[in-house]
Amino acid sequence: MIRFENVNKKYGNSVILDDLNFNIEAGEFVVLIGPSGCGKTTTLKSINRLIKPDQGKIFVNGQEISQVNPVKLRRKIGYVIQQIGLFPNMTIEQNIGVVPKRLKYDKKEIQKITRDLMEMVDMSYEEYAHKYPSELSGGQQQRIGVLRALAASPPIVLMDEPFGALDPMTRATLQKEIANLHKKLKKTIVFVTHDMNEALDLADKIVFMEHGKIVQMATPEEMLANPASPLIRDFMRKSALAADTLNLTAADFLSANVISVQKKKSIRECTDLMARHHIDSLVIKNEDQTYAGVVTIKDIKKHGKSSGVIGEIEPYQNITSDILENAKDSFDKLYSSGDNYVVVLNNDQTIAGIITKTSMATAMADTLWGDMQ
Amino acid sequence: MDASIVLEHLYLVAMTVIFSVIVGLPIGVLAYLKPSVRKIVLWSVELLQTIPALALLGLIIIALGPGKMTVITGLVLYSLLPIVHNTFVGLESVDSGIKEAGKGMGLTQLDRLISVEIPLAFPMIFTGIRIATVTTVGVAVFATSVGGGGLGKVIYQGIRTQNMNLIVSGTVSLMIMAVLFDVLMIWINRRLAKGTRNQAF
Amino acid sequence: MSFFETYGDRLITAFQIHLFYVLTSVVIGFVIALLLGILLSRVPQYAKVVMPLLSVFQTIPGIVFIGILFLYLGMIPATVISALAVYAIFPILKNTYTGLLDVKKEYIEAAKGCGMTPLQTLIEVELPLASPSIITGLRMSTIYTVSWAVLAAMIGLGGLGEFIYIGIASNNDQLILAGAIPSAIMAIILSLLIDVLRRAVVPKGIRSVK
Repeated sequence: MIRFENVNKKYGNSVILDDLNFNIEAGEFVVLIGPSGCGKTTTLKSINRLIKPDQGKIFVNGQEISQVNPVKLRRKIGYVIQQIGLFPNMTIEQNIGVVPKRLKYDKKEIQKITRDLMEMVDMSYEEYAHKYPSELSGGQQQRIGVLRALAASPPIVLMDEPFGALDPMTRATLQKEIANLHKKLKKTIVFVTHDMNEALDLADKIVFMEHGKIVQMATPEEMLANPASPLIRDFMRKSALAADTLNLTAADFLSANVISVQKKKSIRECTDLMARHHIDSLVIKNEDQTYAGVVTIKDIKKHGKSSGVIGEIEPYQNITSDILENAKDSFDKLYSSGDNYVVVLNNDQTIAGIITKTSMATAMADTLWGDMQ
Repeated sequence: MDASIVLEHLYLVAMTVIFSVIVGLPIGVLAYLKPSVRKIVLWSVELLQTIPALALLGLIIIALGPGKMTVITGLVLYSLLPIVHNTFVGLESVDSGIKEAGKGMGLTQLDRLISVEIPLAFPMIFTGIRIATVTTVGVAVFATSVGGGGLGKVIYQGIRTQNMNLIVSGTVSLMIMAVLFDVLMIWINRRLAKGTRNQAF
Repeated sequence: MSFFETYGDRLITAFQIHLFYVLTSVVIGFVIALLLGILLSRVPQYAKVVMPLLSVFQTIPGIVFIGILFLYLGMIPATVISALAVYAIFPILKNTYTGLLDVKKEYIEAAKGCGMTPLQTLIEVELPLASPSIITGLRMSTIYTVSWAVLAAMIGLGGLGEFIYIGIASNNDQLILAGAIPSAIMAIILSLLIDVLRRAVVPKGIRSVK
């Protein structure tokens, strides 16, 4: 479908594309990846002649593209860019209809295409078609950016870091959507990214580039199993690490060094304990060592008397986490609750430790950069 | 034509610019601080610009009689717009984070204005002053119609007597003056802008 | 007896002549400026030289242009109109050029990527996005032109300037006001009309963006 033959490109003295040769089959989802300046974007843009190579030939659908009128060529190749580039002066429907209109589709047909495409990404035609891009969120805008590229059903779609500017949540959703669209529509997609996870998730084939050359072109499985260079392994490792954090549990982040007392402890002893450890709350245990709650110095002051035992004060029900709970859920609890820490409980409801913001940061650093000790 | 006429013209321009800044800057600050009068203030200075320069001078002559005072008053009214406008816009577009930081540190409104907001808005304000200066060089040719002298006198005389040399020499002096002011003030502004950048970070 | 009985007819004629000068010269200036602005925006490397040169010429006072043209063309309306048109060009040209240059590259790349021809990109993407800036230039030009058109009277070609010149010469404030007020009103009405035009021309989607 797309073939590069000895393609070269220089800017001044620096070589951007160094004798590129490769082939992309029809219906393939190919992801170009590599460090910045490796030539991935230049490669992409030379497919629709936004960049003209110095030497070599590029064939699209058997035709050598330097012989094809660039305007005609581009109308048969969808194009999505990172900055989205929806025309702010046109409505959503007009934006999606840009290419069909130029290919002389009639109005009804354009409307139908718009409606069908919007349905595919769960955006209501009635609600959004007549809005302007500035009235949409970034994620919605880029959905429309993708739809615009698909509108004239081009066999090929080029995507230049399309999700690079989106927040992680939106990016994940759009990745899923683009994977579905690819499955459904069987387009040939060439996709540039610098995010290895994205490449591994989406690609049929990954093309890893460095210094204008292809270092490895392989399926994700093959690349994971046999990375062709240390740099690729490095890319893989970083993304694997990032993926690993998803499997961390509360146990990985807790600090076991927690001051807890039994209910029968006298209040005076408790305040001494707090003063000695410079803390302003204590975790309270029942007689059977199970978690009862938390008492703060304020609670004690409110209570008024320093005689008696700590069990007389109604403990505060601090948020808790199960020790096997996904770490991210624990963090979410910590941030949304307003409590100073999460009490992590073992299966038998005894206290395993607490997660504070500090313990979380320390553990996070350990995972990313190795043992901090 | 001799140097004294050029100097006369320069004098008119200089006085105009000085007084426009003295009057325009506070008005711009007022428009920034008091949203209630903002619209009317900005609208009034814009309205002043719709009155033909010559007519404005003609009206002032009635109040003040012919002479340099008339010319300068008229030109000041005429050059208020860029100064007021740029002062307002410049202050308005100072980063809200910086303004908040000033507030957070307990600076009073006046303190913030003088030590933070005006210095940061100054390149923009100075651009307004530059536009006013260059425009004034041109508009000041009308001075001669109300007895204010300057290069306009030479040009008018040239037109009346169909003396191309006079017209050209008057015009060229005028152009050189305008371009010199423009270039010089752009240069100054660049240096000043560098200064505020260093202060800000 | 009253001012209007004496001058009413002459004032109306002068207003009409003044308006005629303004409209013709702004229209001519607008067309030239738009074309020139588009042309220059295609070749920014030349524009970098041409634009400063033009702004130097802009410092020539209107009087000079009218004066010189008067010497060559004589006392005909074409003298005033061409001089005013030259003046009307500058602000529109400058705003067209910067407006077009300020259109973000991503839109032009997207347009190319969608297979738009350069002309389609210009008409459907660049000009609509530059329209707020272009209209602002038109507004400035129009207000200036109303003011400069006063100079027509200097070479005996009528318009509201006639009242102002005579008024100044005879120290008659009524006459000066009779020239000044209608011309200010003309400038205000024309700029309001241009604001209406702006609403019609500037695409809805970019109005809030500016």
